[in-house]
Amino acid sequence: MGVISEFRKMGKNGSYHQTLIKDLKRINEKLQFLGALNESLTEGIPFTVKDNICVKGFEARAGSKILGGYVPPFNATAVERMLAKGFGFLGKTQMDEFGFGSFGINTQVQARNPFNPDKVAGGSSSGAAVATAVMKYHVAIAESTGGSISNPAAFCGVLGFTPTYGTVSRYGLIDYANSLDKIGIMGRSGDDIREVFDIIKGADRYDSTCVDTKVKGEGKKKLVVINQLMKGIDEEILSSFDSLLSQLGEMGYKVEHVSIDSITKAIPAYYIISMAEASTNLAKYTGYKYGLQRESFTEKYNAFFTGARAAFGTEAKRRIVLGTFVRSESVKDKYYTKALQFRTAITNKLGQILKDAFIISPTMPITAPDFEQAAKLTPLQTYAMDSLTIPPNLSGLPHISFPCDYKRRMPVGAQLITGHFNDYALLDFVSEWEKRFEYRFKYSLGAI
Amino acid sequence: MKIGLEVHVALPTKSKLFCSCSSISDEPNSAICPICMGFPGSKPMLNGAALSQAINVANALNCKISESTSFVRKVYFYPDLPKSYQITQTQGAIGGNGSVELESKRIGIRRIQLEEDPAKIVREENYTLIDFNRSGVPLVEIVTEPDISSEEELREFVFALKSILYYLGIDIEKELKVDLNISVAKERVEIKNVTGLRNLIDAARYEIKRQQELVAKKQKVESETRSYNEKAMRTESSREKESDEEYGFIYDPDLTSYSTKSASVQKPVYAGKIAREYGKKYGGAAKTILELIQFDKRSLELIDYAKAKWPMQNIINVVEVLKKYGHMDIPDEKFTRLIEIAKSGTPVNEQVLKQVIKGAAVETSNVGSTDIDKEIKAMIKANQKLLKEYDKNPKVFNFIIGEVAKKLKANPKDVSARLSSILEKI
Ligand SMILES: [Zn+2]
Repeated sequence: MGVISEFRKMGKNGSYHQTLIKDLKRINEKLQFLGALNESLTEGIPFTVKDNICVKGFEARAGSKILGGYVPPFNATAVERMLAKGFGFLGKTQMDEFGFGSFGINTQVQARNPFNPDKVAGGSSSGAAVATAVMKYHVAIAESTGGSISNPAAFCGVLGFTPTYGTVSRYGLIDYANSLDKIGIMGRSGDDIREVFDIIKGADRYDSTCVDTKVKGEGKKKLVVINQLMKGIDEEILSSFDSLLSQLGEMGYKVEHVSIDSITKAIPAYYIISMAEASTNLAKYTGYKYGLQRESFTEKYNAFFTGARAAFGTEAKRRIVLGTFVRSESVKDKYYTKALQFRTAITNKLGQILKDAFIISPTMPITAPDFEQAAKLTPLQTYAMDSLTIPPNLSGLPHISFPCDYKRRMPVGAQLITGHFNDYALLDFVSEWEKRFEYRFKYSLGAI
Repeated sequence: MKIGLEVHVALPTKSKLFCSCSSISDEPNSAICPICMGFPGSKPMLNGAALSQAINVANALNCKISESTSFVRKVYFYPDLPKSYQITQTQGAIGGNGSVELESKRIGIRRIQLEEDPAKIVREENYTLIDFNRSGVPLVEIVTEPDISSEEELREFVFALKSILYYLGIDIEKELKVDLNISVAKERVEIKNVTGLRNLIDAARYEIKRQQELVAKKQKVESETRSYNEKAMRTESSREKESDEEYGFIYDPDLTSYSTKSASVQKPVYAGKIAREYGKKYGGAAKTILELIQFDKRSLELIDYAKAKWPMQNIINVVEVLKKYGHMDIPDEKFTRLIEIAKSGTPVNEQVLKQVIKGAAVETSNVGSTDIDKEIKAMIKANQKLLKEYDKNPKVFNFIIGEVAKKLKANPKDVSARLSSILEKI
């Protein structure tokens, strides 16, 4: 049974929530994973919301200085649907600026890993993963563009579910790359994620790309490992993964190794498309309608805009410059158009495999690194960290990261991918996995 | 000479292109929402009515209509653009490859696209204000081929276009922005953002003359972007090269592609063609008919109702009077009565019109004015002597009128009118 049903049975309110908030604040001093907090919450199953998803009346910075002070006048559709079902909005969770990062360090407030505060929580949904790892009765609404749910879920030892692109409305999501952004869920059990998914999914008149296609749960007994993706992975992660595969073998799954050469094109294709779209999405931050306000309005507009846009962090600036470059007329066909073609080709290839199999891999090539290590990586090394999470994200395929081992007291996650709109199969799978493997949590605030 | 236009016209939809805000509003910044203000987190939703109107424009301009249509982001920084990109169309445009028929020429239509209007900039002396009510209002952009070759043709084209749009319920004057491309010699000059019909014609006239003078003096015409200074009535260099523009178009991933099949398509009305046809078939000057129907649906209705039954000249006269005195809503039977009166030779004037509208009887002669004229002329011939005494005895007039009216059983007033017109000619 999931924590949601358990909590419903207990029917807690009032002092329970106030105590939880007090405890949260204390632990937040150490782990720094929270944004705006709903201090007056007194009822409902607590849920947190990644800071790039709008909650009416609460500041939404999306991890950026440039949005400081932006209080959305509306709820994201996913949030609206949670509130309508009696869930209680607890607060916003930290993230890399606009989702640009793999370690939660590309922002002013850097969330820390609950298993070891010297280590990163992952990214970009860093705060959502930490919140899920420290609270017992709670679910997190997070978001993934290229792996921002799987990655921190693996580093923090929780479940991170990214649904099929288009099943959950993006209305109210502060855009990174619209054709890749997906609102998803973090939790502690497959049952909880299923319940929340059923609430937030479904067509929305405010998001043209959101559809009502029926979600299935066709289980597969074949697990495909893509050889090209298994390069550059730490030895200890590989040993955890081998042990996972043998356990799954005992559970009746058959493992098959396949080669897909084109899969290595996924990273460049992803970064080109996401940066091109991001550079257009970030154009709107010009310092006069919302967010960071400039004091003087006497400059010429170009100078004014330039002044406002100085507030972007380094990674955001890098993506604006590269994104603007790859869609510029003279090189567009060479980069942007070609990347779109690769995306289609890779999606078709993965689709063929997924007809009768799941694709499985470790989620991350390493366990959560120290802050120091993470900061030393070059942008390219950091982008390579996403090699396992990018393929399903690029293709809009549903995937889930689940804890499968612990190495040197840090969690190891594995990622399961299935075909479009077969999302329930992933949740069925983890429910089965949970019967045999017990997740460990260092904190369980609010546990009774 | 080659002239081409990019005409932006506001579509008369109730709500904006991508949100449910009203597209008509007075109080500045009253019809705004997170979507048309580009607030982070908001997403566009296409207004089906705008799509359908744009499809009708494309259809009326004889365009080939794309089976499905899609949108792109055009990125540039300007305070009137809330998202710093405009949602517009390029390859996925509504339609293209169309034409507008003029009297003796066909002007090609390259492309029809649907896009959102930026906000309105209000410049005050020491500051600038922005009114976002206009942000997101649907615009249709009509791009012509450079087929126009004189100011007269430009005028004819613009009025023909205005008429076609009028019959689709679109008022070109409500909001009109035009980019005007003129090349008298080889070099192309673009005059950006000319607003309103009058300015468009004035700007074109000025620019044609300017370029012609340069050519006559054997000076080079600079290929450049200019703007129109309304107060000074001249075009001025904008000091920017068109090649500097780099919009970095990408398809808008917040929108999908939209089928054009389900739109209900109205039959277009081509007033010029109708006027020429009716003139040929039913008589009456094509030019006069065109003047009546070009921007007046009701005139066309009345003419269509009457055209096969009565002489076109009588119909035109009656419609002109109805229009002049604001009675275009006249019921069919009274309209018929007026035409019969006109046909009888009694001129339809304000008084006759009032009588007919009231339902009162109007005395008419059963004789046409030609019979009256004939009789008057006969009287004049027979009474030359009497007429010489005209100065001394004005009653001579009354004598003639009385005799003619009695003989023809005609209305003395009609006879009097004919008599004065005949005497004038003598
Ligand atoms: Zn609006």
